[in-house]
Amino acid sequence: MVSAEVTIRNRLGMHARAAAIFVRQTTNYDGEVWLTKGKNRVNGKSIMGILTLAAARGEMVLIEVEGPGEEETLRTLVDIVDGRFGEVD
Amino acid sequence: MRDTDGDAKSMVTIPVRYFFEHNREDLHLEVLAGKGGMDRQIRIARIQKPGLALAGYIDQLHRERVQVLGQTEISYLGTLDPQLADRRIKELCLAEVSCLIVAKGLAVPDRLVELAEEHKVPLFRSPEISSTLIRRVTTYLEEVLAPETSLHGCFVDVYGVGILLLGKSGIGKSECALGLIERGHRLVGDDVIVIRRKGPGVLFGSGAELIKHHMEIRGLGIINIKDLYGVSSIRKTKKLELVVELVEWDQNIDVERVGLEEHTYSILGIEIPYLKIPVRPARDLSLIMEVAARNHLLKRMGYNAAQELDRQFHSQLNEDKWEREKPDLGSVE
Repeated sequence: MVSAEVTIRNRLGMHARAAAIFVRQTTNYDGEVWLTKGKNRVNGKSIMGILTLAAARGEMVLIEVEGPGEEETLRTLVDIVDGRFGEVD
Repeated sequence: MRDTDGDAKSMVTIPVRYFFEHNREDLHLEVLAGKGGMDRQIRIARIQKPGLALAGYIDQLHRERVQVLGQTEISYLGTLDPQLADRRIKELCLAEVSCLIVAKGLAVPDRLVELAEEHKVPLFRSPEISSTLIRRVTTYLEEVLAPETSLHGCFVDVYGVGILLLGKSGIGKSECALGLIERGHRLVGDDVIVIRRKGPGVLFGSGAELIKHHMEIRGLGIINIKDLYGVSSIRKTKKLELVVELVEWDQNIDVERVGLEEHTYSILGIEIPYLKIPVRPARDLSLIMEVAARNHLLKRMGYNAAQELDRQFHSQLNEDKWEREKPDLGSVE
């Protein structure tokens, strides 16, 4: 299990479209992905789960990855969040 | 993983402030003293009457618990020597109790107000009589202090049986639920299910507030079940009675073929009947869920088809055996 804490940087936060971009990566991954904000921990492969976190700009989210190639997957996921889900504000 | 037991979240406390805000109108609470202690925590739902503590026996005085002072406590304080009364009230205040509530709108001794203020112990008064007050406070606290956990799954009400569908992402939980809704059953929640333990051995589940009545179906995106199927297709909470895990079809996987043995799944320390259903294309999962629900209802009424068939089988064997071994009565003639 590897994990990293990231700060949401895009203006709209982890809204539906951003969650979809994140999930597109995670669903192709064989292992498990979890996202945690505060006391809520959700499956990182579920758009609806991610939406319940209601992660807004400036908030911290913990990404946990477990399974084959976890390091690489985690790096990709962190890049997606750091890259503001491809949004230009 | 963490999601199966949820121990991390099962210890719940609420600040006195929260209790006060939620009940001030219902219980007509007035604050007499101790506003500075509104951040004290309430951890135990059962209240305590500190009668014996005021008489000097403080060993059983519980911290983080609400103390209700009724007629007995208040009039007893009046009978004590003022210095002794002071000492007993101080002991009560120093015991890390959550707050004090005086029932029946009784007149509160000045020293109790002063000492509660000094020790920052919130002191409320309610016009309700002790028994009503205790019942209502306990009911409220049991509700808010119920241990809870959240699971990744899908929760549906099928013929009145609350079924929690578990399984890997993409295995078809949501599609299965959709099939059930189409057949007239009701969705409680999809993806993030909050399970709470209410009372001994009873679990209730509901959907996450933010995404309620919504589902994500691959290829369609996010849909609103309430808008698509109407208000009768959803419900807010439901008692959890059956856990069904969908697993990929695999020759080697060990699944139940008879149903004589009953398996359980542990959530918040409570064992819930559990079924493992293998998924394969062309297998109508919604139909299997309906049958699982019907079968569960039968079991709840005390009828287990597998056990019944087994019993018949054995009695038939015994009958055959008797037929074979019965003494030959023909020669008596």
